[in-house]
Parts: sequence; C-alpha cells; structure tokens
Amino acid sequence: MGYVAIKGGTKAIEESIKRLKYERLKEKKIVNVDDIKGSMRGLIDQVMSESSLCSRELASIAIKQAEGNMEEAVFLLRAYRSTLPRKHYTKVLDTDNMLVERRISASFKDIPGGQILGASYDYTHRLIDFDLTDESLEDAIKWVDDYENEKIKDDDTDLKKLPKVVDYLREEGLIKTYEDNNKEPIDVTKKSIEFPTERSERLQILTRGQTGAITSLGYAALRAYGALHPTVGELRIGSLPIYIDNPLDQSSKEEDSFYIGDIKITEVESFIPKEIEKEKGRKEIEFDIGYGICYGQNETKAIAMSILDNCLETGNKKYPTHDEEFVLLHIDSVESTGFISHLKLPHYVTFQSKLDSARKTKKGEKDNEDRL
Amino acid sequence: MNRKRRTEILIKGSTSIAKGLAEEIQNKYDVKVIEEPNYGLIMVKMREGAKKSLFYLGEVLVTETKVQINGKLGIGIVKGNNPDLSLYLAIIDAAYNLELKETKAFKDILLKEEEKINNENKKYKSKILKSKVNFDTMDV
Repeated sequence: MGYVAIKGGTKAIEESIKRLKYERLKEKKIVNVDDIKGSMRGLIDQVMSESSLCSRELASIAIKQAEGNMEEAVFLLRAYRSTLPRKHYTKVLDTDNMLVERRISASFKDIPGGQILGASYDYTHRLIDFDLTDESLEDAIKWVDDYENEKIKDDDTDLKKLPKVVDYLREEGLIKTYEDNNKEPIDVTKKSIEFPTERSERLQILTRGQTGAITSLGYAALRAYGALHPTVGELRIGSLPIYIDNPLDQSSKEEDSFYIGDIKITEVESFIPKEIEKEKGRKEIEFDIGYGICYGQNETKAIAMSILDNCLETGNKKYPTHDEEFVLLHIDSVESTGFISHLKLPHYVTFQSKLDSARKTKKGEKDNEDRL
Repeated sequence: MNRKRRTEILIKGSTSIAKGLAEEIQNKYDVKVIEEPNYGLIMVKMREGAKKSLFYLGEVLVTETKVQINGKLGIGIVKGNNPDLSLYLAIIDAAYNLELKETKAFKDILLKEEEKINNENKKYKSKILKSKVNFDTMDV
C-alpha cells in the first residue's frame, strides 16, 4: 500500500480556536486578571512553581487564558519564559534569612521561636462555606480592616532570625554536618540531563515538578515503594530577599549589590532515620535530611519533594521511587502532559502501517486455515 | 547611603518616593534612556539545608532599565512588571554613581521611608506572632 501526503484543516482549526474562545466567554462573564491575582493564591502558587517562573502577574494572565486549566497555564508560562533573556543570577539565597510567616515542626513540640501556624487550611473543618456565594466586596473590605486593626501582640521573637530545627540534631551529632559546598550547580534548562545526575539537577527538576506527580510518587515511596519513615523536622513559609551583584562590577562589595524584591517560598526539612552498621555488627540510628522547596505556599509538594530527595540520594535499586530516571523524567508538567497529549495528534501514517501489518497477519492466518 | 540599602528602601517603600527623587534629577539634568524598561529573567541560586550544596530554584520576572546622566550609567532592576519604578531606580542609581549633590538631601527622605517600612514590618511580625502556639500540659 502506498502513502500520500495530505494537507487541509486550516479553516476547521480557525473555527476550533473561535469555539475555544466562545467556551471561555459564552456565559458573558469576565474575570479580571487583578481579581485572579488577588484571590487565587493557591492556583497562582502552583502555576509559578510548576512553570519555574516567579511572577504573580504572568501566572494570573495565564490562568485566565487557560480558563483555570493548570497544565495549559504552566505551558503558557514556560513558553513565554523561553522568549525572555536571562539577564542575571542572584547572589546565593540562604533560608536562614527568611522572614517567616508560618513555621511548624512535627518532630519537636518546643522549638526556639515557637510553632507559628500562620495561614493554613490544616485547622479548618473542610465544610463548604455557602455564605461565600453572597460575599460582598464591602463585607470583605470591612473584614480586612477589622483584622488589620486588631490589637497587636507583644512578642519580641525575630521572624527573620528563627534558628533551624535541624541545627539541634546537628549539635547532638545525630545529623551529619556539612561544610558549604560551593560547586557551581548545573542548570537543567541549559543542559539536558545525563544519568547519573548531580544533586543540583535533581533538586531543580523536583522543585519545578508537577504537584500531583511529586505528591503521588512521594506517597508511593511512603506507602510501599520506598521504605522510609520521615518526620517533618521543619516546614517554613516566608519571604526571601533577592539580590544581584552590580552587573557593571562583579567584584563589587556586598553593600554595592542591587535588591530586586522578595520571593515567597515553602521549605521542608524532613528527618529520615537510617540504621548505620558500626564495628562488631553494632547498629546505630542516625538521621538523614530530605529537602523540599518550592515557590509560593505549597506544603504537600514540598514535603513530598523532601521524601523523593532522600529516595534519590539513597538510590536503592529495589524501589522505583529511588530510580532517578523513573522519577526525574516523568514529573515535569510540560514534558508529561505534552507527551501524553501528542497521542491525539495525527498518527495516520504510523497507524496505517500497523493496520497493514495486522491485515497481512490476519490474511496469512486465513490462507493457512484454507490450505488445511 | 549604599546601593543595597537604598534599593531596598526604594522598592519596599512607596513608589511616590522613588518618583519624587527621580523627577528632581530629571528636572535638573539631561537623562538619556539607554535601555527602555524591558522584561527579563533572573535565575535564583540557592543553598539547600540538607547537604549545603547549591542549586537553581527557578526564575523571577524582572523589569530592567538603563539610563545615562553626564556619561555615567545607572541601572534600575525590580521584580515583576514595573516599568515606571525601574526607570526611577535607574535615574536615582545614575545620580548616586555621579555623586550628584542632590543625593545628599535624598538621605533624610530615604531614612524616613526606611523607618516607615520598619514600623510596617513590626506590625506585620506582631500579626503573624498572634498565631504562635502556646502549649499547655494536660492533666491526665
């Protein structure tokens, strides 16, 4: 059988795109980008994290354009990002300087600076609040004003200098202490990954991974496919100031650097016990740290990332969640959704070829039967 | 006042402060815009807490502007989509690079704004600390 090249569908595609716009607008309702920016915090944080681009404005526009479809919004941001020049690199950020707005530990009740709950759904009843259907802007403004004018608590805790919980276990020698490793990280957006990967590549891929994929694989590792039992040592959410060196004088002093703004992140350090075999078969328990971090407030993703970080560091061949190729090549939103959706694109030629083979096989079988 | 502190005040503070200082320079000197406000990315380099190694967290959208006053360059960079502020920052940066006499008077304005920012921060921190847990031992 011969194959012929075909073309066509331009008009149909134009109509399909019009139909898509119609679906977005047919209720004759418009949601302003500012409204999305001001009220869709969770969605914006996820889109920024998965697209690896911190911009609440751009994320809001992408969400509007994608009608709230996560994978499409992330795709739009990644595509836009590829059109922009990378102008600078920040000075090294250290979360020791985070202005904390939420910080909890599941490992210790009493931590210096205290458990600070901040804003979280964890303590809510998860009952739908039907009053929200009639919420008015006036009510919202009044609530905010009342809240902001509530009496301030007298507490001299410095939220910019909260000690890390992990430091206590380090002081006791229960967690290994590391010197600062200043090896330049690899950037996975500039260089395709090769196995085995370096730690910097793994962390970058995990932090920009799809929230659902990271959570599912982290859960699988906990449940049966990873053999680890972590406890959240510290989960902190807050803002970090970003600075760059003077672009005109890279050798310039610290005080000559440019402040650019703050970014909000979620950071998790999980404690993972492991048995160490000492002399004469004596066994000791030590703790590893699993590290998770992402843009915005996305606690489940950061905790799941800390689990997967430890799995990939351990690399036990028994478990798929320890296999870096299995984890790292399948968690990126654009790569996984892109590959899955490409299956609906025309495969006329490849499918016809398979159909030909199937027909020939069937015909061969029938001829053989007839001969018998 | 050094650049690190100055840019932090100008970005965290009210845009009207940056606007006022930039306009004062613009009214007295010939400001050439070398690079119009434009968008770009900054890659965030981080140190992780487990093994203290470095990695890239992701990129941040920034607006950047370059201006020249009397041949001296000034740069304004700010997070997000903020062409006006990046222009003001660039003009103020050039003024400081030239050590223009006007910048001496800027110091008091900036210190006053810094105090305002610090007060806001204090209020913000106190609000957050209202959600700090006080554990009580239960009688069993």
